[in-house]
Amino acid sequence: MDATGSEYILSIKDVTKSFPGVKALGGVSIDVKRGMVHGVVGENGAGKSTLMKILSGVYKKDTGTIIFDGQTIEHTTPHESMLRGLAIIYQELNLVNSMSVGENIFLGRFKEMKGMHGTHTKARALLDSIGCKVSTTKLVSELSVSNKQMVEIAKALSFQSKLIIMDEPSTSLTSEEMALLVKIIHQLKDQGISIIYISHKLDEIFDFCDIVTVMRDGKVIDTKPKTEFTRDELITKMVGRTIENEYPERPRNPGENLMEVKGLNTRKLHDIQFHLRRGEILGLVGLVGAGRTEIVRAIFGADKVHGHQVTIRGKAVTIRNPKDAKDAGLGLIPEDRKLQGLVLPFSVEHNISMASIDRFTRFGFVRRSLEKGIGARQVQSLKIKTPNTKIAIKNLSGGNQQKCIVGRWLEIGPSIFIMDEPTKGIDVGAKYEIYVLMKEIAEKGGAVILISSELPEVLHMSNRVLTISDGRITGEFDPEHESADTIMRAALGLGGAS
Amino acid sequence: MKQVGAVLRDYLVLVMILGLALLTAIVQPKFISPANLVNIMRQFGPLILVSLGMTFVIIGGFIDLSVAGTINLVAVVTISLIGPLGQTGALVTGLVLGSVCGAINAVLILTAGAITQAEALFITFGMSTFYSSIALIYTGGSTYHFWDLKKSPDMFLAIGSGSIGVLSVSFVIFLVALAILWVFHTKTAAGRAISLTGGNKTAARLAGVPVSRSIVLIYTIAGFMAALGAIVLFSRITTAAPVIGAGFETNAILSVVVGGTTLKGGKGSVLRTVMGVLLVILLNNTLDLLGVSSYMQWAARGAILVFAIWLDNRKEVQGNQL
Repeated sequence: MDATGSEYILSIKDVTKSFPGVKALGGVSIDVKRGMVHGVVGENGAGKSTLMKILSGVYKKDTGTIIFDGQTIEHTTPHESMLRGLAIIYQELNLVNSMSVGENIFLGRFKEMKGMHGTHTKARALLDSIGCKVSTTKLVSELSVSNKQMVEIAKALSFQSKLIIMDEPSTSLTSEEMALLVKIIHQLKDQGISIIYISHKLDEIFDFCDIVTVMRDGKVIDTKPKTEFTRDELITKMVGRTIENEYPERPRNPGENLMEVKGLNTRKLHDIQFHLRRGEILGLVGLVGAGRTEIVRAIFGADKVHGHQVTIRGKAVTIRNPKDAKDAGLGLIPEDRKLQGLVLPFSVEHNISMASIDRFTRFGFVRRSLEKGIGARQVQSLKIKTPNTKIAIKNLSGGNQQKCIVGRWLEIGPSIFIMDEPTKGIDVGAKYEIYVLMKEIAEKGGAVILISSELPEVLHMSNRVLTISDGRITGEFDPEHESADTIMRAALGLGGAS
Repeated sequence: MKQVGAVLRDYLVLVMILGLALLTAIVQPKFISPANLVNIMRQFGPLILVSLGMTFVIIGGFIDLSVAGTINLVAVVTISLIGPLGQTGALVTGLVLGSVCGAINAVLILTAGAITQAEALFITFGMSTFYSSIALIYTGGSTYHFWDLKKSPDMFLAIGSGSIGVLSVSFVIFLVALAILWVFHTKTAAGRAISLTGGNKTAARLAGVPVSRSIVLIYTIAGFMAALGAIVLFSRITTAAPVIGAGFETNAILSVVVGGTTLKGGKGSVLRTVMGVLLVILLNNTLDLLGVSSYMQWAARGAILVFAIWLDNRKEVQGNQL
């Protein structure tokens, strides 16, 4: 039981951390064995990120002990952690976009590398060791997310890291990129490097983690070898209740046409034309960058696009900006929650009331009592977990933040709900709730356009699926009767849907 | 312990004002003489008006360096129109001119697609030069004086040095402006739209909040308030030179930031700006009374600006936890 230096690379004991009003960690203990891939799962707000930030030195723990590689760590800084051999690869990667790959790997250590020549030579060697072929002189801003991760891994290796923590690395990866990452993880493991792998995706956990820790509400619920967990048990432990299905039934009985889009052309999109029926969920499937987001942004008036026709309930509408879209009965959950959805320093209440401000304004004056009612109503009906509606929204977990954005639109009841990656980075429990909301919107006579990089999600929730490849619609499918394979082929533009 | 720290940070400016006032009163009793207090009140006049306008621009996530140019232009145009248009006509024209200058800034910013504070900084810096240059061309470089007018401009003289009861007229103008702007910011939908725009332009736009309108509004308010400041300023000194507004933009930004409105946009208050201006003016007055050279005063001002931004960023770090 003793956490000796030999068996465990990291030993966390009874670590607690409180923020004003919230207990983020309530006595967390985890032991990470050397040379293992240790998965950490849990809903957003379970305390995973807080724990990792304590390990790296971004936050200070309140109480408890942390022993890394036989040394007790009291207070540390991110830089000291790096030097000690503990690297973290964050979800929002920490690279300098305007500098080259090599410079990023050895940032601040050019002198030790004896100038740029040494920097690039050593960077090349590191990248080669993980099978990454990116040129070291390329600017980081030109890299894909996957390649940026490789650079981060190379950087971690350059510090002779003994433990690498990966915080939801797969969020923005395609399946091929994911396969490469898995290969590298195995390789690192073979070199004796331990890995903490944080993820929401159970497939990944079962695919390559050795030991799994489940966290919920700032506590460790269970830690045991992967083989002793069943999928259902893991989900139950994560959400604290039994979830029958990962997806609800898709909505039934779509009705007549609600919206038609014609002649949508931009530099990236080519002759986009489709219709949306009342009571249905329409899925848009395609690779990142295929033009899915561009289509909905154009319809919503978020980008300046001319010449296309949008007809809602048989009437032609002109949408020049999001305000027009709102007035025409459209709502949008944007792709990037933090950058496009939330006003982070503002309260939960103000974030929820943003879109419906006209509803509680009289003679130009905001009626606060009505606004408070709106905030309270959405928090209650969507079961948003927050101490109160006055707290800044940045303090909420991802899933709860997303629910606030949904609530923002539900308040004005748009008939057409566009959801761009609505479940990205949120946990199983909150995902299910968002699926149920989609279904409710459709069944109340509205319609949902769903964009998601998670194919199972689109296939399970949609009544119809459009595949998008390279700015064109390459096919229309009934996901209930078509194989995922056929749909994916069309989304990849491999023909088959001529 | 943490709570005490947070409260102290919030009211730090107030504590500094009181501390500074107390200290000065002890070291230099002249500080609380009626003459000096009246002096402070008069100095307060133009700067607070300009700063109140600047507060909206900064809450909206932008910045306005053009107020100096606007003040130059409005001052010389207004004073030159007292003869031909009469006092009311000149006053109204001056205020409209200031608002138009502000609106032009906004339209340029929108047309240029400027979304960052830095872009707005350069555009408004260019416009400041532009307005100043028009002021110079208009006057041919000369200065206008009240005593050149055929009839004494009694209304402007009242604005500059009259009083209502114990309060100077300019102070009453400030109180009225403060009340209106505070209600506008905290109680109206348009005020909320400005805050949301400053908090996150993209998110606000995608939620159907009128972002472009907010941008036009903040710059128009800044222009109007700069014009009001210009009028109070030349009325007090009974003279308008086309360089009268120099330094107002930096002092206004300084006051807003020192008051605690964040340069990052979104969060702030006109009430905080009042405290900021008070601190800046008290500091000047104190240093004057203590006989510190004006060169040193510039250094002090620079130091508190840096301090204020440091404080602002510390707040951010604390607030970002969790």
